[in-house]
Amino acid sequence: MSKKILAYKRENGSLGIRNYVAIIPVDDLSNNAAESVAKIINGTIALSHPYGRLQFGEDLDLHFRTLIGNGANPNVAAAIVIGIEPNWAKKIADGIAQTGKPVAYFGIEGYGLLKTIERASRKAKEFVQFATAQEKTEANLADLIISFKCGESDTTSGLAGNPTAGRVAEHLVNEGGTVIIGETSETTGAEHILAQHFASKELSDKYLQIHRNYLKIIEASGEDLLGSQPTEGNIAGGLTTIEEKALGNIQKAGRKEKILIQSVLDLAEKPHTKGLHFMDSSSAAAEYITLMGAAGAALHLFITGQGNIVGNPIVPVIKITANPKTAAEMSEHIDVDISSVLTHEINLDQAADKVLDALTAAARGQYTAAEVLGQQEFVLTRLYPSA
Amino acid sequence: MAYHKFLVHEKKDSVGVAITDIKKGEFVKGVFLADEGVLNITAADSIPLGHKIALNSIKSGEFIIEYGEKIGRAFKDINQGSWVHTHNLKSIHWVKK
Repeated sequence: MSKKILAYKRENGSLGIRNYVAIIPVDDLSNNAAESVAKIINGTIALSHPYGRLQFGEDLDLHFRTLIGNGANPNVAAAIVIGIEPNWAKKIADGIAQTGKPVAYFGIEGYGLLKTIERASRKAKEFVQFATAQEKTEANLADLIISFKCGESDTTSGLAGNPTAGRVAEHLVNEGGTVIIGETSETTGAEHILAQHFASKELSDKYLQIHRNYLKIIEASGEDLLGSQPTEGNIAGGLTTIEEKALGNIQKAGRKEKILIQSVLDLAEKPHTKGLHFMDSSSAAAEYITLMGAAGAALHLFITGQGNIVGNPIVPVIKITANPKTAAEMSEHIDVDISSVLTHEINLDQAADKVLDALTAAARGQYTAAEVLGQQEFVLTRLYPSA
Repeated sequence: MAYHKFLVHEKKDSVGVAITDIKKGEFVKGVFLADEGVLNITAADSIPLGHKIALNSIKSGEFIIEYGEKIGRAFKDINQGSWVHTHNLKSIHWVKK
């Protein structure tokens, strides 16, 4: 059964479930202006971050791709870009404008902070009135791009949380949906199994190559990840090794008899087809969801064991747990408690139905726990240091 | 015994996962996810929710199996019913060369 939602149909046909006017700083210096505009003008949100100066090469490309992608995200009705210099601001605004949505950019040099705030605020007022005149139309949950990630995982994630997410992915993909998974580092020890989940040998080889490259970076640094993979929280939750964590993690891909991965995406790259996709990505929660926002995700499913509390400014995050202690002790963060899978009171399909209902409610407009609590982490992935 | 207190992913696994806190000396029931088969074990240690219990004796140096796959290697002898975690199980990845 397809789930009916209410969505904003954007100029390029993409579907969003929130209706923000995003104020996007190009660089650290422009956060103050962006946040000031967001304080003055109701209905706007500033996507502040600490980077954007003296970046170069692939790292700079990723910076632009991430900011353009988030401005282009279907949950954003219109965008304002503010940078210390006008050229990079224009580059990002031009990228977002390709969606057809209203965009404006402002450079601070030659005007100063106060005049920039005034100019951007006047434009933001106009954009909010444009945004709030948009009406929602009926659509299907599977029309959205939905991203998945687990965090503060424990063994309940592998027993129930991630297999439930796998069932949700199977349902959405079979209904014609688009689902993105990733977390390159957290597939270590289970890469030989995940490799069997790709639609072709070329894709499988591409994934394995990305994973090998990643391991080389770790080895070249002379370090290991013993102190951070698994994390302290993972270990407290009973996960002992990265292999064990990875074997639980990859359950999100669903059963390979049911669905296969259709592409391997670069960081912040938008999927070109429907179906299940794997993005090369950090496993750090806020970085990951920010990359997914750039890839066009309108909604995120987050599976937690010990209780990660992450949110995102423009992508609503639905949080589920199969750990009964977390569900009780951190209840304000948990949208769906599926701990009864462990006691066999419900099976994975029934748990997946509960999660699909929560995703549907969020996609019809209900705020998720992370939205109500104001968790709005926006974190850009860096590839190497600035010049 | 009415309720299971641990789950086992696959038949060939050497560990189960506690779904509730288990006390040392407790005689506990486990269920295999694959076929709902049942096994009973006496806990040799207290095992917190989410932590692993050894289903059989494991020698130091042997692989430990969960999900039907290697999750690492024992670096101490482990008795049946014992708690399996960072004090006796180590990854075979992230080993400094």
